[in-house]
Amino acid sequence: MTPAYIIQTLVSFLAILMLVGIAWWAKIARHAPDLDEASARALIADEFPDHAVGAVWVAADHRSALARSGDEALIVYRAGDGYVARSTPWVRLAEGRPGKGGVALKLADFTAPRARFTLAEGATWPPASLGDAP
Amino acid sequence: MKIDLITLATPFFILAVILEIVLARFARTTTHYEAKDTMTSLGMGLGSQVFGLLTAGLVIAATLWVWQHRIFTIPMTAWWAWVAIFFLEDLVYYWFHRLSHERRFWWAAHVNHHSSQHYNLSTALRQTWTGGVNGSWLLWLPLAFVGFPPPMIAIEKSVSLIYQFWIHTEAIRRLPTPLEYVLNTPSHHRVHHARNPRYLDSNYAGILIVWDRMFGTFVAEDEAEPPRYGIVKNLGDFNIIRAAFHEWVGIAQDIARDPRHTLGYLFGPPGWSPDGSRQTSDQIKAAWRARQPSLASGSDNPIAPRAASRR
Ligand SMILES: [Zn+2]
Ligand SMILES: [Zn+2]
Repeated sequence: MTPAYIIQTLVSFLAILMLVGIAWWAKIARHAPDLDEASARALIADEFPDHAVGAVWVAADHRSALARSGDEALIVYRAGDGYVARSTPWVRLAEGRPGKGGVALKLADFTAPRARFTLAEGATWPPASLGDAP
Repeated sequence: MKIDLITLATPFFILAVILEIVLARFARTTTHYEAKDTMTSLGMGLGSQVFGLLTAGLVIAATLWVWQHRIFTIPMTAWWAWVAIFFLEDLVYYWFHRLSHERRFWWAAHVNHHSSQHYNLSTALRQTWTGGVNGSWLLWLPLAFVGFPPPMIAIEKSVSLIYQFWIHTEAIRRLPTPLEYVLNTPSHHRVHHARNPRYLDSNYAGILIVWDRMFGTFVAEDEAEPPRYGIVKNLGDFNIIRAAFHEWVGIAQDIARDPRHTLGYLFGPPGWSPDGSRQTSDQIKAAWRARQPSLASGSDNPIAPRAASRR
């Protein structure tokens, strides 16, 4: 680690900050529209093409959605300008405790540790429209 | 030597990223950048240079040692030697890259390059931090054993890396047909970064796409099915530590849970599991084929004949 190398690394880091700033300024992220029933269903069908899906529930902030397929919960949620999909056993939804702002559900997955679902006032968890846990 | 060429190229990388962003800003291209994603990709690039130093000494020493036991002495000044190493290094790269996708122990390092849901010039700089530890650099040692001088190998590796920078863009649709036939291009490499089932595990080329055509891994970009970028299970956030190490963590968790299947978890294909509860690329592709009514009976789709022969 020579001084020249350290300076070079610092300059590279500043260059990164500049590029990220330019990317932020340009506002050229993908248009990721809020989820509604139809778009959430389409997204879930894309991500879980071999799953039969019944009702689809969309979180109050339209950034995440949930569907039930047998004893599996199919989850999609927004990350940046894209969406991330995971499934988890349906019974584990009950481990998510509704708190201020909604439910943070642990997924037992290092690559996607938790999904958040905002709840409308008075809404139940797991969403009643998807049926009770078996 | 390697660091030198990459360092020299870095100002051009930066200018090219700015150009791509500005062109997109003024609606000249359909490129997308998301600031957090850009931060992770560029941070991975810088981190890979730093982490690379940890094993650089070992790689250089091993290459020199092998070269001291070489069969021939190939002069760096001969034009034919540069022609030869261009093709041979690119062939080594193809197999390195294919191994990096088909076996989890090597995928754990290479997945970093694929975990962005974006495809732009910043994605090119999203490089691994752990490429030195899985021994994939051993694949280049035969070049030294044949007699190519180590600096020549290092230069050619850098040339390949620098070539592959500019193809990470959506701003260029297609090159003239003869070039698309021979070279790895933005179109071919978009397919390589796609997570659509039909595009998985294809187009491993570095500079020449002819290797994929020869070894049966070529898939053309279909205008009717735009690539969706990223990995089969996209990352849940932009945490750079997660991006750098998640597959290694996954391997460790799997082995801790079920040590009897250590070899399968290490050297099986990504997505392998003893009980079939996860899907490998082959299984994802097979399921996709089964959902295509036109493909099941055979059609003009290039993937269909393989589907038929597997049944
Ligand atoms: Zn790759
Ligand atoms: Zn790439």
